[in-house]
Amino acid sequence: MRYTGPLGRMSLPRRKARLSAAAVATAMILAACGGNSSDNAGGDSDGKAAGPTAPATIPALTNDPATLSFIWFEWPAAQALEDFANAEYSKVRPNVTVEVNTVPNANWHDAMFTQFAARKTDFDIAILDSQHIGEAVTNGNILDITDFIKSNIETAAYDPYLLAAYGQYPQAETGQRDENASMYGLPLLGDTWTMIYRKDLIGDTPPATWDEMIATAKKCQDDNPGVNGLAFHQSNGSDAAAVTYNTVNGVYGGTIWNSKDRKIDGVINDAAGQKAMDVLVNQMKPLTAKGSGNWFIDEVNAAVAQGKACIAFQWIAASGGLLDPAQSTLGTSKEEILDKLGFATLPTQETNLVPLGGMGMHISAYVSPAQQAEALNFMKWFEQADVQKKWAAAGGVPSRTDALKSPEFLDGPPFNQVYADSVARQRDMWNVPEYAKLIDIENTNVNAALNGAADPRTALDTIAKDQQAVLDSSGGGL
Amino acid sequence: MSSTTTPPAQASAPPPAPGRTTRLGDRKLAVTFISPALLLLLFMSIFPLLWALYLSFTDYSVTRDKPAKFVGLQNYVDILTSSQVHQRTLTTLAYVVGAVLLQTVLGFGIAYLISRRRRGQGVLTTLFLVPMMLSPVVVGLFWKFMFDAQFGVVNSMLGSLGLEPVEWLTRMPNALISLIVVDTWQWTPFIMLIALAGLTAVPNYLYEAASIDRASEWFRFRHITFPLVWPLLLIAVMFRAIEAFRLFDLVYILTNGGPGVSTETLSFHVYKVAFLGFNTGTASAYGILMVLVVLVMAQFYLRYLTKLKEK
Amino acid sequence: MTISSDRLVKAGAVTDTVADNPLPRRRRRGRGRNIVEVTLLTVVAAAMLFPVLWILETSIKENRDVYAVPAKFFDFKVTFAHYKDVFFASDGGASDVSRSFLNSILVAGGSTVLATLFGVPAAWAYSRFPLRAKKDQLFFILSTRFMPPVVIVIPVFLMYRELGLINTHIGLILVYAAFNVSFTIWMMKGFVDEVPAEYEEAAMLDGYTRLQAFRRFTLPLLVPGIAATAVFALIFSWNEFVFAIFLTTSQDVRTAPPAIAGLIGGTTVDWGLVAACAVVFAIPVLVFAFLVRKHLVAGVTLGAVRR
Repeated sequence: MRYTGPLGRMSLPRRKARLSAAAVATAMILAACGGNSSDNAGGDSDGKAAGPTAPATIPALTNDPATLSFIWFEWPAAQALEDFANAEYSKVRPNVTVEVNTVPNANWHDAMFTQFAARKTDFDIAILDSQHIGEAVTNGNILDITDFIKSNIETAAYDPYLLAAYGQYPQAETGQRDENASMYGLPLLGDTWTMIYRKDLIGDTPPATWDEMIATAKKCQDDNPGVNGLAFHQSNGSDAAAVTYNTVNGVYGGTIWNSKDRKIDGVINDAAGQKAMDVLVNQMKPLTAKGSGNWFIDEVNAAVAQGKACIAFQWIAASGGLLDPAQSTLGTSKEEILDKLGFATLPTQETNLVPLGGMGMHISAYVSPAQQAEALNFMKWFEQADVQKKWAAAGGVPSRTDALKSPEFLDGPPFNQVYADSVARQRDMWNVPEYAKLIDIENTNVNAALNGAADPRTALDTIAKDQQAVLDSSGGGL
Repeated sequence: MSSTTTPPAQASAPPPAPGRTTRLGDRKLAVTFISPALLLLLFMSIFPLLWALYLSFTDYSVTRDKPAKFVGLQNYVDILTSSQVHQRTLTTLAYVVGAVLLQTVLGFGIAYLISRRRRGQGVLTTLFLVPMMLSPVVVGLFWKFMFDAQFGVVNSMLGSLGLEPVEWLTRMPNALISLIVVDTWQWTPFIMLIALAGLTAVPNYLYEAASIDRASEWFRFRHITFPLVWPLLLIAVMFRAIEAFRLFDLVYILTNGGPGVSTETLSFHVYKVAFLGFNTGTASAYGILMVLVVLVMAQFYLRYLTKLKEK
Repeated sequence: MTISSDRLVKAGAVTDTVADNPLPRRRRRGRGRNIVEVTLLTVVAAAMLFPVLWILETSIKENRDVYAVPAKFFDFKVTFAHYKDVFFASDGGASDVSRSFLNSILVAGGSTVLATLFGVPAAWAYSRFPLRAKKDQLFFILSTRFMPPVVIVIPVFLMYRELGLINTHIGLILVYAAFNVSFTIWMMKGFVDEVPAEYEEAAMLDGYTRLQAFRRFTLPLLVPGIAATAVFALIFSWNEFVFAIFLTTSQDVRTAPPAIAGLIGGTTVDWGLVAACAVVFAIPVLVFAFLVRKHLVAGVTLGAVRR
């Protein structure tokens, strides 16, 4: 189209140009919309229809130089994975280079799903958060690998819930796996919360119950001016404040939803839920540092490393930096730091539940079959017993039971034992397509309650009501 | 511009032989020169906006693989009646008014003080301009660090003055105030620069006349300085108001909308609707409404600007 | 409004000249007042510049001192390790941030060139020819500059999805070029307006075509203005964050602002590194801003206020 410049005497051509511009624009809109609906990669809103599926056996692989790309967020585990894969996978596939692309944590979900939305990904394997699976499956973004797993993976070697949490959709009941459900991923890195406590301030024995933990933290804070009793995630970003609330909710016997009836209202805000919110806001929050209301992983680590917290809660996979003397004031060597820092499984109360973290590997539906084949091959390789042990030795958290019991894993940093002891206690959040909105509702409201911007009880009821509305309307609206 | 008053040096170059080039008509020339730019704008601004306009009447989602369904004005009704949106509107308004007011007063004050200096005007001006040149990302990140309640230098200094630490980013209304402070820190230089341009341009003889009349300082300021600077200042204020209305990056980095959602601006809310829920249709309607506001503001800005130029 | 152009140029000028200040002679109370004013200015200057100094200080502190409470202002060990980390990864190769700097150079440079190539001729045409609905056209052009990026990015994303431009340098270049071309037209129109049309007319009487007259006589006079305009376009693209974070997804394309933002939110925040990146990232902008200091007023108002 040529735009005819609207000069003084040129009213006629100008009008023509205007019309043609409009016509072109309309045509483009129509073409684009048609395009959207026709290049359907499968999957509908029920998530039941046959989506893109991986073959049961790995197709023939190329021997030409190739790159296998992952997408993850920026943290030490990403570098560890890249180094590990390039050192070990190249022994079986010398022609393949592994690349782990990283994005800022705050941008992780958006970066993956905007690429999925673009129907073109620069990654072959997406490392999704376990709760992202529903969204990806429903949109047909990742391969169904049920058949592949049946013929290639020793499923008996895993705690069933780990396989389910990082691969199954629809979501499994906590602690179980539905053998008949479809699988869309395999575990990459296991994770849960660990309690970090100052042995030099509260003694070698960690508190056993949640109430005891709070009392200990309070006493420690009173006895040690300048040190706060507690440090935990409170930020309204990522899944920070929500995981914190859900953890306390679980410990006090609450439930965050009834997955069968898709009910949240009346479930999360039942008596146990109210109690948990009360404990979090009125007992735990007062023991935290002033201004800690936007803390997430790195701020909690900083507080521990600076000796400002008696007891802290942190993801195990993010705890490695605490042992680095360069970042710490607690000691000049790892041993000195470990004299002061203890790592323990979470205290229990009504239940012994702990949050499920970690991520699985999922294959993009929008890369070539050759890349998908390589991805399948990598996943098969990665889930072997000896490779899982090597991954443990390289600092990763494996999922196979034999690897979790291996000296390679248990002789590692002290929080590895914590993970091994926590596996059977884990509970996940909702793994549904609406996850991103659910988590945002919970994050912002818990954060508001923690920071005095909302009454705790009202906040919990708002969470219940708003989340229920999201589930009921299945998308749309604000 | 000094350069513009110099006669062209190349004027002595010999004229070309007649008929060596085909004479392009003025009209054609104008078209050739303007159309690439307009095409770029058409392609990158107008076409996307039209598309957004179309989507705003549908329930389309970028990620869900379903054809768009026409929903009429539903998205607009949802947005205009949503209490969430009303809350964000108030937040945005408070932010825009607070930030622009504060930086106008400060910027004008600094400019006034600088204009009264005989020495060092240039150096002062340059130093003051540094914040404005920094990326909002850098500004946001660093102020987040400085505002940190535990390790931040701001509270550390308050502490050495014997004051209690303040929760800058995690309490209301502190968080909104912090946003305003940071925006003011970055953009006061902008107002200052323009105010200074106005102040230094007040003709000498006006002051001289006033000083013969023994007019008071306040009288001079009120009746000579201010009226002459005000038109320029207003331009700056309107420009800043539009920019503040669009604000996204500072909120994203500094407070992430917190505590809770109390510092979420309209831009930030659109982002959440578009990229968390992937409700593209609703987000488009939301965006179109914001664009309308911007257009109205820009219209005022431009009208004022033209008036100023014509004077 | 009569504004002497020389004065205004000085307002933005950096040369430390003694301004021929238009203010009346100080009277008896002048001295006391003078002291108050100088004190006020010093305080404000200190407050405004402190954050900048703090960035500089943090960039040369060891991480242990960065978190020290109370904050260490002077007694810390100086290290330049953070600056090394800006450019080199721990294994000695180029760091991710340094790669993003290269992307920033490519994207900011590309979009500036494009915006200048498209914008300058258009500005000249708008200045010289009596076009129909000129005001409306110019308003339309200006309004595109004011669009909220978060809003525009949604349809641009959809469009780029069809065109395969997501996560490409060219995609970012086009977006920035569009934002900059409207700015370029507005700012350059001001510069062209100041070159008397008579020069071209005289040249045309000598047998030059209009185009030749523009090229040989007007264009050379516009060079300073073009340079200033280009620098502003460059600064805009260099600092831009919203489009960059939503339209890029890999380190191969990501520009520096999102890359720097990505330095926080891992497991530990290396504030020393963030500060060093900020300094390195800001230096080119400050240098360029210094070079165009005479045109700052025009630049920050889209060429609206320029004399």
